[in-house]
Amino acid sequence: MHRAPDVALLDLDGVTRRYGALVALDQVAMRVEEGEVRAVIGPNGAGKTTLFNVITGTVKPTAGLIRFADQAITGLPSHQICRLGISRTFQITALFPEMSARENARLAAQARHPRRWQPFAGARIFKEAQALADAALEQLGLSGIADRPAGLLSHGDQRLLEVAMAMAQQPRVLLLDEPTQGLSVEETAQAVDTLARFLQASRMTVLLVEHDMEVVFRLAHRITVLHRGAVIADGAPDEVKADARVQDAYLGGLD
Amino acid sequence: MSAALRPLLIVVVLVLALAPFGLPPFAMTLLTEALILGLFAMSLDLMFGYTRLVSFGHAAAYGLGAYASGWLLLHTGMPLLFAVFGAALLTGVVAIGIGWMCTLATGVSFSMLTLAFAQLLYAISFKWTSVTGGSDGLAGIPRTPGPFGFAALTSKIGFYYLVLACLVGAFLLCFALVRSPFGAVLRGIRENEAKTIALGYNTRLYKIAVVAVAYALGGLAGALYAPFAGFANTELLFWLLSGQVLIMVIVGGSGTLVGPILGAAFFMLMEHQLSSWTEAWALYFGLIFIAFVLFAPQGIWGLATGRLQMGRLRRASGP
Ligand SMILES: Nc1ncnc2c1ncn2[C@@H]1O[C@H](COP(=O)(O)OP(=O)(O)OP(=O)(O)O)[C@@H](O)[C@H]1O
Ligand SMILES: [Mg+2]
Repeated sequence: MHRAPDVALLDLDGVTRRYGALVALDQVAMRVEEGEVRAVIGPNGAGKTTLFNVITGTVKPTAGLIRFADQAITGLPSHQICRLGISRTFQITALFPEMSARENARLAAQARHPRRWQPFAGARIFKEAQALADAALEQLGLSGIADRPAGLLSHGDQRLLEVAMAMAQQPRVLLLDEPTQGLSVEETAQAVDTLARFLQASRMTVLLVEHDMEVVFRLAHRITVLHRGAVIADGAPDEVKADARVQDAYLGGLD
Repeated sequence: MSAALRPLLIVVVLVLALAPFGLPPFAMTLLTEALILGLFAMSLDLMFGYTRLVSFGHAAAYGLGAYASGWLLLHTGMPLLFAVFGAALLTGVVAIGIGWMCTLATGVSFSMLTLAFAQLLYAISFKWTSVTGGSDGLAGIPRTPGPFGFAALTSKIGFYYLVLACLVGAFLLCFALVRSPFGAVLRGIRENEAKTIALGYNTRLYKIAVVAVAYALGGLAGALYAPFAGFANTELLFWLLSGQVLIMVIVGGSGTLVGPILGAAFFMLMEHQLSSWTEAWALYFGLIFIAFVLFAPQGIWGLATGRLQMGRLRRASGP
């Protein structure tokens, strides 16, 4: 069937998540087009990470519908959602510290290998997964440190390694939760340069949570603003920047 | 394990293969038992060392294997080889159910559930007298010779070779397993299970699979023990054995496969030596265990290979 061009790759409708009385996500509606870099911003506790958790199935939404590539994924287990082509990184670095960076990325790529359960295909699986892993490490400028244990890398390289792991899975959508979190000013500048180059080259569809407004305005095509779980603005960076409610809720509060 | 250690292991296997020509029968008995226990400890290492699944009930595998092979040998006239492998297979199949239940929980709750299943089997071994012989256990288990010239395996020395072959075969299987893509996922679960799930792995399936393999091999050890000792009793399902095999794995060096085999041999040696000096041998062994946990958590094998590696590093970084 021919897909209408206005159909979004990722489509959220009325997505709500409650924790007791707290509404972490409040009727969130959102459409992300293929090839778009969408920033999700909002003050601490706005529900940005919860949004990622709900999309990736780590947390079940209390209500609402999530569609990915024309398929309802609401309530699927997270490993199945991941296999459909949604990969993420975590706000708090999550790696396999005793494995080398290459092994980390290889394990990520292996998860998508069609024969991963087949006995006696081990050598082939490793080889093909490693090729994808090495390509992703190269894209993020990590080839030089690929053989070091992930736990011993600098914080900046660890953040990029998580992105490389997600990329090694050849996802259709990449969810990045504060990739520059905890980095020094120089590290941030470097990581953002790398990310910008990589996003330009890959044309990957990305959902990006980021606190640093400079980073957001540099990387994103479009911005969604969350406040207390609800979307209060959604549009091109300049529109959002000019929006009075956003100024109030967020930008003003930060400066 | 680095490639440099491979020749060493081949030499060790050769020495073990020649052991019957040099050792007195009494020592052969001890050595056979040590190899059986080594197999048992190595099977637990798949869970404990490679997947960080801490089982407090691995005696379930050993006891189930022992009772199953004992019963088959006593009541069906099945030849030794078939009874032993049949019992191991049965243990593995039962373990799929046990693994399915235990992996509903994680962490300490997982450990408690493994213990609960072992205790359940322990209770059954007491109550189901018609099959298990109750508190007397099964006695007079024969080593029934087989039809295809396997009769040689039923002699004392022949049986030793059977045990050695099982241990070497199981080692090669485990070695291949932990280095396979499957083993890479197990390492992932060990280091960061949440991340492994986020990468798209159904980690629970992997955990059930590793429990099944570990129990099957632990069951193989028990299945060898019954015709070795000629009996199977409730002690083989008791929690004390579950604790002891954990100690063997830790003292030998977890996550190395070889280490736990050494740990089992060390445990037997200590039990033998210390108990000839003192009634309270378990106390002294407990102190040795504590010393290992505090000062050498990498275990005997870790200490030995650590030395080797350090020597190599020093040589490599030298002028
Ligand atoms: N598991 C949970 N149980 C209870 N409350 C939770 C849980 N997870 C998140 N919350 C609450 O939901 C709200 C949104 O949290 P979330 O982590 O999504 O915010 P965030 O926008 O990512 O914030 P930050 O910028 O600090 O990362 C917060 O008030 C948080 O305390
Ligand atoms: Mg967050």
